[in-house]
Amino acid sequence: MAPPAQSQRSPSPSQPSGKGEVSDLKIQLRQLAGSRAPGTDDTKRDLFKKVISYMTIGIDVSSVFSEMVMCSATSDIVLKKMCYLYVGNYAKHNPDLALLTINFLQRDCKDEDPMIRGLALRSLCSLGVANLVEYLVGPLNSGLKDGNSYVRMVAAVGVLKLYHISVSTCLDADFPDLLKQLMLKDKDAQVVANCLTSLQEIWSLEASKSEEAARDRESLLSKPIVYYFLNRIKEFNEWAQCIVLELVSKYVPTDSEEIFDIMNLLEDRLHHANGAVVLATIKVFLHMTLSMADVHQQVYERIKAPLLTLVSSGSSEQSYAVLSHLHLLVMRAPFIFSSDYKHFYCQYNEPFYVKKLKLEMLTSVANESNTYEIVTELCEYVANVDIPMARESIRAVGKIALQQYDVNAIVDRLLQFLEMEKEHVTAETLVLVKDLLRKYPQWSHDCIAVVGNISSKNVQEPRAKAALIWMLGEYAQDMQDSPYILESLIENWEEEHSAEVRLHLLTAVIKCFFRRPPETQKALGAALAAGLADFHQDVHDRALFYYRLLTYDISVAEKIVNPPKQAVSVFADTQSSEMKDRIFDEFNSLSVVYQKPSYMFTDKEHRGPFAFSEELGNLSIDTEPADNDAVSAPRIEANDKELLLSTSEKEEILGYGTNGSAYNAPSYNSATTTGGSQGHLDLVSLDQPSTAFTNASSAMDELFGLGMPAVPGSVLLLNAKATIESNAFQQKWRQLPVSLSQDISIDPRGVAAMTNPKALAQHMQNYSMHCVASGGQAPNFKFFLFAQKAEEPSAYLVECVINSSSCKVQLKIKADDQSTSQAFSDLFQAALSKFGLS
Amino acid sequence: MPVAASAIYFLNLRGDVLINRLYRDDVGGNMVDAFRVHIMQTKELGTCPVRQIGGCSFFYMRISNVYIVIVVSSNANVACAFKFVVEAVTLFKSYFGGAFDEDAIRNNFVLIYELLDEIMDFGYPQNLSPEILKLYITQEGVRSPFSSKASDKPVPNATLQVTGAVGWRREGLVYKKNEVFLDIVESVNLLMSSKGSVLRCDVTGKILMKCFLSGMPDLKLGLNDKIGLEKESQLKSRPAKSGKTIELDDVTFHQCVNLTRFNSEKTVSFVPPDGEFELMKYRITEGVNLPFRVLPTIKELGRTRMEVNVKVKSVFGAKMFALGVVIKIPVPKQTAKTSFQVTSGRAKYSPSTDCLIWKIRKFPGQTEPTLSAEVELISTMTEKKSWTRPPIQMEFQVPMFTASGLRVRFLKVWEKSGYNTVEWVRYITKAGSYEIRC
Repeated sequence: MAPPAQSQRSPSPSQPSGKGEVSDLKIQLRQLAGSRAPGTDDTKRDLFKKVISYMTIGIDVSSVFSEMVMCSATSDIVLKKMCYLYVGNYAKHNPDLALLTINFLQRDCKDEDPMIRGLALRSLCSLGVANLVEYLVGPLNSGLKDGNSYVRMVAAVGVLKLYHISVSTCLDADFPDLLKQLMLKDKDAQVVANCLTSLQEIWSLEASKSEEAARDRESLLSKPIVYYFLNRIKEFNEWAQCIVLELVSKYVPTDSEEIFDIMNLLEDRLHHANGAVVLATIKVFLHMTLSMADVHQQVYERIKAPLLTLVSSGSSEQSYAVLSHLHLLVMRAPFIFSSDYKHFYCQYNEPFYVKKLKLEMLTSVANESNTYEIVTELCEYVANVDIPMARESIRAVGKIALQQYDVNAIVDRLLQFLEMEKEHVTAETLVLVKDLLRKYPQWSHDCIAVVGNISSKNVQEPRAKAALIWMLGEYAQDMQDSPYILESLIENWEEEHSAEVRLHLLTAVIKCFFRRPPETQKALGAALAAGLADFHQDVHDRALFYYRLLTYDISVAEKIVNPPKQAVSVFADTQSSEMKDRIFDEFNSLSVVYQKPSYMFTDKEHRGPFAFSEELGNLSIDTEPADNDAVSAPRIEANDKELLLSTSEKEEILGYGTNGSAYNAPSYNSATTTGGSQGHLDLVSLDQPSTAFTNASSAMDELFGLGMPAVPGSVLLLNAKATIESNAFQQKWRQLPVSLSQDISIDPRGVAAMTNPKALAQHMQNYSMHCVASGGQAPNFKFFLFAQKAEEPSAYLVECVINSSSCKVQLKIKADDQSTSQAFSDLFQAALSKFGLS
Repeated sequence: MPVAASAIYFLNLRGDVLINRLYRDDVGGNMVDAFRVHIMQTKELGTCPVRQIGGCSFFYMRISNVYIVIVVSSNANVACAFKFVVEAVTLFKSYFGGAFDEDAIRNNFVLIYELLDEIMDFGYPQNLSPEILKLYITQEGVRSPFSSKASDKPVPNATLQVTGAVGWRREGLVYKKNEVFLDIVESVNLLMSSKGSVLRCDVTGKILMKCFLSGMPDLKLGLNDKIGLEKESQLKSRPAKSGKTIELDDVTFHQCVNLTRFNSEKTVSFVPPDGEFELMKYRITEGVNLPFRVLPTIKELGRTRMEVNVKVKSVFGAKMFALGVVIKIPVPKQTAKTSFQVTSGRAKYSPSTDCLIWKIRKFPGQTEPTLSAEVELISTMTEKKSWTRPPIQMEFQVPMFTASGLRVRFLKVWEKSGYNTVEWVRYITKAGSYEIRC
């Protein structure tokens, strides 16, 4: 509970600090301690209550510890309980005082009343003080053998508590074996269940350390033990049943007959009132039939009804938990649920988190037969007052349009949205229309007619504005006003805050120029001038790039900027299928709710700032065998067994990196990150994924090679021989505030070369940035770098975390002279972007 | 790992801690602060009941004016955790007698701590059955079932029950008058389009029971559901009686019901717990009798006037009544003035919820009262386009009516002493989410 650390911090201002009260309590308790007068217990109770209530609101009452212990000699169970609660709360931080309590707890463990024995044992094990563990072994041992099941039940969990305090004490006393014996013979179901939970936790934690424990853990999944639990399943209470079912779901039956036996035995659990039991049963069914495709499908049919019942009963939190699971199943097998689409209609008062899941399910079950109804329903939500809901609904309509072949009706609907003249609806729809046109260019006439009527003044959101501008450029021929609209947008260049929009504007105007040169020439000139003067790195670079292309050869420029495009056939899925299978394996847990495998939110390494490798599925990986160097280079194996990527897949990534032309980044819309290298990716993916790549990057290289400074007038030269002691670095790192923190993307080819941290360190050395320390294993690498200005001793410290699977880099820059940190960052990113390219 | 909760907190709406119980020390003590800062004090509150902050996940639920928060550090079972919270609240309610709110918690915090100690150990749920817990934790204080003191009433076979195999009923109960009350409560969920077609409609029903029976009785319940009747006629080898049979989409039962027997014989047989409990829940989507039809016409006359006409038709038997009927008809935010005419009940304009509320206390079957209202709007420049109409919502209760048509055919009670029992059956249909778009 609230440890003193928290309690000392002043509690919220509305609460008393409690100093005076606590010392009062102390005096009163002391007076009562020795008293045996009648009625003492009642007074004590009141005082104890006060102590506990102070403790709850966060006032530190640890100072009355000894008085509490003195008063604890009582026969009143409520008093005892309050005292146990108090002791359990403070013992951990006052180990010396905790010793005082051992005596009376041990005495209570031998009380004739089993209730008191149990309570005392529970409290004793909850003390959590490492140097008192020797006092636990005896009482636990006798607790496990106690004649009363209440005490045994407490003792079984007590063993687990002991394990968490001191692993060696627990194992040395052979408690796991005792637990196992108890588990297999105890008459009381709750004792058996507690033994099982304790053993599972102990052995899972031990399994990584000792093979024996791993074997023991496996033994829990052996046929005799699983059958033992299955045969007794009705004796367990609902919670224990969940635990047993979880165990069964991991069991691998030998043949299909056995699978059917188990499923027949458990089928009635699907009617259990406790949703947790039903979900646990569903997990067993799903996992057992995984290898039998047709039965697996029947299982889906069978579990549909109970799942839908669970969704519609209970609070919205509960139904959210169940819906997340239903969502997972719907995504796996949409066709099975396609006739149940009406269950996914949203009610007006449902919370957004429920509605959002439902929308996704509606999108995924849409097929030829129900699309009309679903889209009609979705259109109802678009008019919803709740803006996020309206947006999600439009996106859902768009997704269905992108899935279906017959999109006539849907396109009409989308265009109607544009006529609703609501800003958020228009914005969201524009983005969708753009995607739709990329897939179905044949619709351009209908769409352009409507889009042309939208005044760009009514579109403010960057994403929507960018989409509109893209269409103005792409369909310049069909839109009468296109050059003039673009021109007016360029006139307001200064007021456009989003770099993304400015980037699109540049591209659109040049595209427009190729189609209607006389009308656009003036606008193009203005745009390039504005772009060159732009303070944003990417915009500046792109403008310069276009400018040089145009001066070099206009026809080449047209080929690069505006080549004939093919319609996009499939938009990339956001999640890889391994990831989905992984989540499915972890059915009935948080993974399903978060929609990511557990290692991503429980392991420390992965919790980091990266959206770990979710883009992985996006990349079209060229499976052509990689160049030998990249693959055969010694690589440190990821020690984390939980990592999703198998070795072969990692090699694929490496291989893909060496073959740069295969990089067909559909991350068209994701140009939200900043930084030089990103601009360069974006450039390429924007207009010509494959052939332009080398041209563009060499052009960029040339730019950098020319030493073209990012911001004119702030040329930053670094001292090539700067050095620093690692201690001094650490000290400085602690002293300085972070002056710049950025997330950027890097070229996958660079990542491919990142076989070990050293390679990058050497590379950066060439740019006068010196690696002080490096470490990490694939996919996460971390570097500390140091650089110094050429003329003065002003230093830059960099922490650079590179995730090689998502090609993301997180930079933290600290500088003596903070005004130049942006310039340094540009320099750093330029250097980094060249890694692996030379 | 089913739950393995690291901590449970009860907070009031301001974020003050009412109860905190730390089960494991794998999370820091400042978790309440994290919850307060990252969830309660942000707009995030209510956007999702499961949130991750740092390495911990927070599951939270608001119940009346209290937030209950479970903190876990592992990949826990969410459904189980929420169910646990719900069950725990039911348990607390059964102790305080009804309300569960901030005051009740403040008044009973010692009791809650005691219960939290028993219902969860080291983060794993233990026994949550009020029946059993009440044997040794009482409102007045803890009583040991093992106590040897003569003054305490000995509880037979309590040892077994504390950890319990037959968790839901204790032996040796005696009642002078043996009675069973059966309530069938259905809620109808409806979503109707503005054109009057049913988009979605279903009934979720539950059968609530109150038993005051002596000894260890065995009960058997017969309903007019299709599968049960078919099975019965099969067993007795005689044709099923004609009449309405109900197709239940899905059923769940209280743990006392013998599920094996239900699966093989399709009969609901059980040894009931003492007192009140929920025997079964069911869901029906086919053949639902809607108790009310709503026919709205809303006309916008220019920018500042609206005409609203709503006709509500009751389609249940003429001898029956609906009670507490409330019809909420949404109007735009910029409503200035309203005037009504109703043929029955009372109507008023509620500015806080932007709707007209029409209440009819007693609504006989086969009637169709109407409301006609004129709404004047303030003309505003900002609202450019027509107002988006939220659906009309309805609340009601219709006693002695089931939307599904479900009926209890029999309830048989066997006890070895062979006493007579009195059975009372009630039916009621309520509105779940009854929405009509307009």
